Amino acid sequence: MGEVILTMNGIDKSFPGVHALDHVNLEVRKGEVHALMGENGAGKSTLMKVLTGIYSKDEGTITYEGKEVEFSNPRDAQAAGIVIVHQELNMMNHLTVAQNIFIGRESMSGKLINDKKMNEEAEKLFQKLNIQIDPTEKMGNLTVGKQQMCEIAKAISHDAKVIIFDEPSAALTEAEIEELFKIIRDLREKQLGIVYISHRMDEIKVITDRVTVMRDGGYVGTLITKDSTKDDIINMMVGRVIYEDPKTQSNVAKDAPVVLKVEHLNAGKMVRDVSFELRKGEILGFSGLMGAGRTETARALFGADPVDSGEVYVNGQKVTIKNPMDAVKCGIGYLSEDRKRFGIVVQKTVAENSTMADLDHYMSGIFINKKKENEVAQKYVDSLKTKTPSVDQLVVNLSGGNQQKVVIAKWLVRNCDILIFDEPTRGIDVGAKSEIYHLMNELVAEGKSIIMISSEMTEILRMSDRIVVMCEGRKTGEMDISEATQENIMHAATLRD
Amino acid sequence: MEKIKNNALVKKVGFNRLVLCCVLLLMYVIFAILSPTFLNYNRILSALNYAYFLGFLSLGVTFVIATGGIDFSIGPVMFCAALISGHLLTKSGAPLIVSLLVSVLVGTAFGVFNGYLVAYWKMPSFITSMASMMLAKGIGSVFTATQSVSWPQSTQENGSFRMMVKVTTGNGTQIPTGLIVLIVASIICAVILNKTKIGRYILCLGSNKEAVRLSGVDVKKWEMLAYILCGMLAGIAAIAYVGAYSTVQPGMGDTFNNEAIAGCVMGGTSMTGGIASIGGTFIGVMIISLLQEGILAMGFQKDWQYVITGLIVLVAVYADVRSRKRSN
Amino acid sequence: MGNNEKKGNALTNNPLVNAIGTQKIVVVLVIILLAILFSVMSPAFRQYSTVVSIFDYSYYISFMAIGVTFPLITGGVDLSIGTGMVSAGLVGGYLVTFKGMPTAVGMLAALCVGLLLGCFNAFLAAKLELPPFIATLGSMMVARGIGSIITGGMAVTWPPSSDPSGWFRSIFKISVGGLNLPIGFLLVIIAVIVMSTVLNKTRPGRYIIALGSNKEATRLSGINVVKWQSLAYLISGLFTGLAGIAYAATFQTIAPGTGAGLELDAIAGAIIGGTSMNGGYGTIVGTLLGVFVMSLLKTGLPFIGLQANWQQIITGLVLIVAVLIDVIKNAKRA
Repeated sequence: MGEVILTMNGIDKSFPGVHALDHVNLEVRKGEVHALMGENGAGKSTLMKVLTGIYSKDEGTITYEGKEVEFSNPRDAQAAGIVIVHQELNMMNHLTVAQNIFIGRESMSGKLINDKKMNEEAEKLFQKLNIQIDPTEKMGNLTVGKQQMCEIAKAISHDAKVIIFDEPSAALTEAEIEELFKIIRDLREKQLGIVYISHRMDEIKVITDRVTVMRDGGYVGTLITKDSTKDDIINMMVGRVIYEDPKTQSNVAKDAPVVLKVEHLNAGKMVRDVSFELRKGEILGFSGLMGAGRTETARALFGADPVDSGEVYVNGQKVTIKNPMDAVKCGIGYLSEDRKRFGIVVQKTVAENSTMADLDHYMSGIFINKKKENEVAQKYVDSLKTKTPSVDQLVVNLSGGNQQKVVIAKWLVRNCDILIFDEPTRGIDVGAKSEIYHLMNELVAEGKSIIMISSEMTEILRMSDRIVVMCEGRKTGEMDISEATQENIMHAATLRD
Repeated sequence: MEKIKNNALVKKVGFNRLVLCCVLLLMYVIFAILSPTFLNYNRILSALNYAYFLGFLSLGVTFVIATGGIDFSIGPVMFCAALISGHLLTKSGAPLIVSLLVSVLVGTAFGVFNGYLVAYWKMPSFITSMASMMLAKGIGSVFTATQSVSWPQSTQENGSFRMMVKVTTGNGTQIPTGLIVLIVASIICAVILNKTKIGRYILCLGSNKEAVRLSGVDVKKWEMLAYILCGMLAGIAAIAYVGAYSTVQPGMGDTFNNEAIAGCVMGGTSMTGGIASIGGTFIGVMIISLLQEGILAMGFQKDWQYVITGLIVLVAVYADVRSRKRSN
Repeated sequence: MGNNEKKGNALTNNPLVNAIGTQKIVVVLVIILLAILFSVMSPAFRQYSTVVSIFDYSYYISFMAIGVTFPLITGGVDLSIGTGMVSAGLVGGYLVTFKGMPTAVGMLAALCVGLLLGCFNAFLAAKLELPPFIATLGSMMVARGIGSIITGGMAVTWPPSSDPSGWFRSIFKISVGGLNLPIGFLLVIIAVIVMSTVLNKTRPGRYIIALGSNKEATRLSGINVVKWQSLAYLISGLFTGLAGIAYAATFQTIAPGTGAGLELDAIAGAIIGGTSMNGGYGTIVGTLLGVFVMSLLKTGLPFIGLQANWQQIITGLVLIVAVLIDVIKNAKRA
């Protein structure tokens, strides 16, 4: 490790209602790979956005190469030598690799673009990085891993001095990760400062020199990787916060009937051989880190995405779910993590959204029975305590928590017995959150069963009767609430194969 | 301004629709001042003649636009339907009722074709319907061997269908029955759009197709149905057209697409889908029909109509895009 | 996605096939097959004059299609090229025939009409961000009306080739010893070479492809997407003007209010040639080949007894098939 190239000191940032960063520190040295770790929502991405000028900071200083700096946009940061390799790749798939790398700064001979020279330059870059990519290949034909290498090459071609990798391994195969690590080590040799954001404990141990841990927007501490154990890091990540009222034991009888049984479900890359059971009156928590394949499992189960193989049994009967229509017929309802895109029709009223999945029962002949529709909508507005002036209000005018209640009402109107709640409290304020918890408890008390996907450890430990943990599309753990702790969940969530 | 907007009656009718009504009245007054013949009863009848078939086209395309799609084939489909059924009636001696049914069927068939390609094959609606516009033009003219077709006059045998459009009483007064037919059709369409499952799902999927699909609704079926309704109404528009103008020529009809779409977007139906108003479409159609009659009455070239309709579409769509951006 | 990297059969892995593109080879085969089919079915087709008329038909469609390839690559479309072309021909011809201006001025006027239309479309689609198909539908109507308003609703006849001011016709066809030579094809070839170079070898072309492939990523690379998207519509407009001249040279008389539907021949040509409706991909050479399919159909069908009305049906079907292939190709890629 060489001298310090970048220091972020006492960075503070608030958004309306959220204290996103609370005096966070980060120090990166030349020739160092510095891991930035923390649970989902710990503030890692926000910190990096402050660094590269996407957000402005409220307090604190950023010192880069001995001078205090403040970038106003990512291009300025890039020009100064700080580059992010994003998790979502920003590529023009129809252009070649070299054309992508040099977009906006093409080599010219006269008025014409000199593609040959750009190919040579790209080739040189790849040689420097020791990677085998044909610069004339179309970007869209490359694997995600190769595309990532191109992003790195692009970053280096900008004369980067600090490179930030934002969860680079999330979509890579084992071999590709090996290759990525080789490049990162190489960059370290060349005295670049590298920030490596990842959830994967094993990777952190292998590739990084130091680890900075964040929790709930705050700075927890910095460790030297080789002097610390996996448990040290996990303990720092989860902390010792006392939760309001974590469930201590399951409320479900051991012999409660199994309402849903999923066996060897496979769907794409993110759902691999997933099996689990859901009992009547149970809240089954799905825990895991971002990109663990939980939402994909739910969508595949619900028929929203194609399934490659696997069997699903509802109340002991084998069913085939090819599309959401089939799923709804089986009594499964799905509350999406992305309410606006997949949950509600914002330009329609509360009543119209409430009966969306069950309109057949609100008809008089060929006409929609508006009165009956309003009645049922009103009934659920009352019982869910949805705050809306009337059932004729457009959903777009409701707050996030109340929109969520409208989606829940939609499935209750349909009388679904199996409910999949995907991040049910995301983007919802504290008051509405506890109402939704209360509601979920009431629902299971009535005999409904809930699969709850949540990235919040508190939520998982407070609500679940049983917990399934996923990592990289596989089920890596399953435990009763009585034996679940933050530590063993996090262990399972970072277990690779 | 705000006061007017918040008035209970205004809210019920809709502010934009009231403005459109004012525009319609204002246009009439202006035309009447500029061209004295405009107060003539026959002028009104003539404007209404145009409104009948355009009304049916526009009502139909309102459903398609509500899904977020578009149908550029309605004008030629209307002509195709009128040509085929007229040919059967006048050349092949088919009974009147069969011919009228065939007209509706031809329109519906095109609706099925467009709807299937768009909903099930996920083809872009604008290019699909432009292709079927060519098909409609070609098929109509192949069927009649490029001959134009003249439907019988009201006094002739089989001319009774014209009662749907106009009735002439004993003393020579003409009663525009077509207006009543169009109003009834509009009411039926409004009921379908706002009170039935078809309309509910069409509007919802136009607003957020994925959310509707994830509610377990067969979105493909309902999307296709919008195109079928549109095609069927184009088939009915064919009857209204020949009822008013008698003669149909092959290879035409595409200008009516644009006028029908203009009427629809002017009436407040959003090109991005999800929001539609049959009442608005009705007034929009009246404005376009009055406009074309006014242009004729003042002795301008017919081509001004194309220019003005084009600009109306652009302004209406711009307003729609702007208001969407603002609400985001 | 990545697993498919090295898949594909021997044919698609052949470097020569790769260089030319599978779709283009298929299109060439289709052209040859169609030519054989028409020749077998109709002896009259096997004449030199048929070849000349295939070329005659191809000029104006080619120009329109080369132009519209650019908006298509940005992921948009330009529906105003058909009526715009006729408008350009009308205005130019009106100045020459009714106002006694030199032919060159008329041609320049035609180009200007096209460019103005391009500006209008660029403003609507790139600047105001209206959906391109509806924006250009509006301008299609405006162009249709304005052309005939300027000529007062009259048909326009450009000077015939016998007239000295009909010299412009010999740009496209000259008669040597009674033999008609379709030299307009040379012009089309030049246009193809120039526009291929612009598309593949210059920054404007590169950015047009880039923004069609991923507009947001292109914007984030610091590229002025509004400017380059505008340029695509300007190119389309310019070529609409050129097509207007070619149209005037091919046909004796231009009737006002026509031209609607001709844009579909050009768009179909471009899509047959492999240009994607989703944007990001297209080649000028492919477009030219696609145009030849359309022009061959237009010329050949009457020889086997299918008149103009059948051509419309065929255009419609070809368009549907071409778009369907594009949709399936894109679905496979995703």
